[in-house]
Amino acid sequence: MDKIIVQCDPDLEDLIPGYINNRHKDIIVMQECLETGDFAKIRTIGHSMKGSGGGYGFDIITDLGERIENAALASDTDKIVQAVQELESYISRVEVVYS
Amino acid sequence: MIIGIFCGNVAEVTKTKTNGQASRILIVDDDSDVLVLFSKWLKAENFDVVTVESGKDALAQISIARPDLVVTDLIMDEMDGMALLSEIHRQNPLLPVIMLSGQAKIPDAVKATHLGSSAFLTKPVDKKELISQIRKHLHLAGNGKTNKSQPFGEGIIYRSSKMAELIEQGKAVADGDITVFISGETGTGKEILAKAIHDASPRKDQPFIGVNCGAIPEQLLESELFGHEKGAFTGALSQHEGLFKAADGGTLFLDEIGDMPLDLQVKLLRVLQDFQVRPVGSVRSVPINVRIISATHTNLAEAVKEGHFRADLYYRLNVVPLAIPNLAERPEDIELLLEYYLEKFALRKGEPKKAFSPEALDYLIASSWPGNVRQLINVVDLCATLNKTNIIPLSMAQKALGDEESDLRTLKDAKHLFEREYLISVLQLTKGQVANSARIAGRNRTEFYKLLNAHNLDPSDFRDQAGA
Repeated sequence: MDKIIVQCDPDLEDLIPGYINNRHKDIIVMQECLETGDFAKIRTIGHSMKGSGGGYGFDIITDLGERIENAALASDTDKIVQAVQELESYISRVEVVYS
Repeated sequence: MIIGIFCGNVAEVTKTKTNGQASRILIVDDDSDVLVLFSKWLKAENFDVVTVESGKDALAQISIARPDLVVTDLIMDEMDGMALLSEIHRQNPLLPVIMLSGQAKIPDAVKATHLGSSAFLTKPVDKKELISQIRKHLHLAGNGKTNKSQPFGEGIIYRSSKMAELIEQGKAVADGDITVFISGETGTGKEILAKAIHDASPRKDQPFIGVNCGAIPEQLLESELFGHEKGAFTGALSQHEGLFKAADGGTLFLDEIGDMPLDLQVKLLRVLQDFQVRPVGSVRSVPINVRIISATHTNLAEAVKEGHFRADLYYRLNVVPLAIPNLAERPEDIELLLEYYLEKFALRKGEPKKAFSPEALDYLIASSWPGNVRQLINVVDLCATLNKTNIIPLSMAQKALGDEESDLRTLKDAKHLFEREYLISVLQLTKGQVANSARIAGRNRTEFYKLLNAHNLDPSDFRDQAGA
């Protein structure tokens, strides 16, 4: 699969790996929540992603976070699954360039 | 700069700089990714940053860390941003609060504005916008800098409201000749405050002379203060102008005024009434132009009641009373003081700056500090000297403070300490002149030299100070 190049602030170089790792954890938690029907938790995670992604340089994560938040608010499992899959794909392909 | 990351009840504190210029920002958000990101941004802009993950922790930190501005998320569990904003402004209506929200809802922004929010920003927050809003609202609040960058009381380190109030009073009285009376326990910094008042006064380019009235033998205090003529008494081999005359045009700081003998109090009162001094053995009075600042660690009003201090002199001196709080009464200043003196130690020694571990800091902040700031300086120096690593652990802080407290409790050590401080006072007074020092101490030169050797004191160090 093609890499997605993202330019990030060099000052954040030490924080970015941790941020990406936290999204991996979010994916696992959201998948568990989908099984238990915990839409409130999914909404909270989506809200956090929306609020933090752009600050780190990942506008896509902000967009996906917003979609997840809205889908969770509507208890729309299909849309949540689709957005989580897109998130999983994105963070597996993203390659950060610090400049 | 001090960066504190608080996760639940665990506090990890990293200190990177204390340069006296930083404003302290408290960031409140339940998302740790946001906390570390904002910390990074603000640290790069030389702000002090404290971060917490809940409104409840934020309220606790406001009284401890005394931030200059708060940035808080709107949506949080338990106490949300609106509730936090209300509570902050109930306690401190002037503290600027910037609200963040993941959803740009106009009603929220309106409500936050009504509650006194300084700004309402939408997440994800733009770095430049956040920093610009912080700078703008710090400026509007008039606290873009801590006290340390202000000209008054440059050496006085604080962030507590008690000290802020005292400094405001000091500033208010500096620009004039009004007589000031400073009270405070030993080690609280009475002379430093007196000097700050002098330095902010129109007399700042004239001498500031300090004298410890309790450190000079009663029979010599009169001639030290008012001067003497040649031959006025046995040993008066030459004329001596006295400290009042030496301070002419400037400020005379009479420390431990409560220790002044009653008969000398009468003479001091006369000088304060007439602004003339008559040296011992002289028939003529000399006009003097001196501002008087006096200080004591004792309860002078009580001394007046007991007849140990003249009421008329008390009222003459106590025109503007300034009371310096004990260190234990202003615990929010302790971390700042520890930082400041660790940095001073590092600069003096040319070594990397050391830091107290979070546990050591908690212990030191909660301690009673009977010796006040002077004791704190001793503890910092002891820890920084003995600790071989850059992080000073709790055990070292406990040992240092324990040693300090045992010093205060042991009579032998207390006598030794008093003798040393007395010798230092006399040497400072005589600017390192051994003959004069020995005379004041009532010892011959040989005995006096033995005393100096016992305390490892070198008179030439005091001559250097005089010339500096």
